Amino acid sequence: MALINVAAREIHGKIVYYGPGLSGKTTNLQYIHARIPAHSKGELLSIATEAERTLFFDFLPLDVGKVHGFTIRFHLYTVPGQVLYERTRVAVLNGADGVVFVADAQRERLAENLQSLRELGQNLTAQGKKFLDFPLVLQYNKMDLPNALPTPVLDRYLNPMRVPRFEAVAIEGTGVFETLRAISKLVVNRL
Amino acid sequence: MNEHKTDRLVVPPDAVAQVAACLQRLMADSNASLSMVIDRSGRVIASESRDPRSGIADLGVLIAAAYSSLQEIARLLREENFQTILHEGLRERIVTETIDARWLLVVLFDEQVQVGLVRVLTRRTASTLAAILDLQQQPPKFSRQRQKQFRRAAQDTIDLIFGKDPEGPDRERT
Repeated sequence: MALINVAAREIHGKIVYYGPGLSGKTTNLQYIHARIPAHSKGELLSIATEAERTLFFDFLPLDVGKVHGFTIRFHLYTVPGQVLYERTRVAVLNGADGVVFVADAQRERLAENLQSLRELGQNLTAQGKKFLDFPLVLQYNKMDLPNALPTPVLDRYLNPMRVPRFEAVAIEGTGVFETLRAISKLVVNRL
Repeated sequence: MNEHKTDRLVVPPDAVAQVAACLQRLMADSNASLSMVIDRSGRVIASESRDPRSGIADLGVLIAAAYSSLQEIARLLREENFQTILHEGLRERIVTETIDARWLLVVLFDEQVQVGLVRVLTRRTASTLAAILDLQQQPPKFSRQRQKQFRRAAQDTIDLIFGKDPEGPDRERT
């Protein structure tokens, strides 16, 4: 739920990057952090394992600027994708105003994408949200790889909801800002 | 997707002022160095600090994360929750107190201050804050027109800030 502090004239929104392990959630945040001007961002906090896998979350605060006298701030989070960390994902997802589901476009990861997407739906429902009515954007990442499934196939399996979706190569930045822009707009539409 | 649906919590200025007054009283009575009220996602709604301090937003996020992690542990242990959490370092200590389902009270203090005193005062303050913050879970009454204008302006601003990749492929193409 977006938080509006009228005294400080601030609006805070929480956006969570969700998806299976190694799909590129952290890469999205790292790219955004590297490209956003210094005055619009805070530090990128990462709670990771020794092997640089996300243990708890990555966190990046972004300052969009002032709108009608209110400063809009987005807090971007990633969840740990590994199956083991299901309860951690629930904790990070709590209070989210919007979700980017980062899918790994490689053919052999389709089942994991589906499982993760199903889990997202269950977790949102358990938190009292309507999955089909929740601000959600899909990102098909790693589309440059030779074993990436074509977009229509990914659409058929992952996007029966027909939410906005973007092809991406997050490590090169392709599709990263398009995705961020889309989810940010969906979140402000709920304010 | 319904464009007119809203999902937000507005904390009006008088509530923030009352919260700030509570935090100031808590600081004065306990000699703590920092106190703040955050939501379960770590967003800081009010804070009071004895000395200027940076990184309060990050502190809020990390404390909320630690709190939510411990609540999951409580769930596994079939505890209802951990009402109070104490982090104890060599110099700094942190007490995190549950206000209600939405809010947390966080107090930082050093080794000169008695933990027991802070816990008692924190618990008492949390109960006062619960009454103040319970009143605020109502949507604001903005006109449809104003809401529409705001959303349009916000979308334009998002396009401006996130609309291009400052040093990336978009720029290279131009």
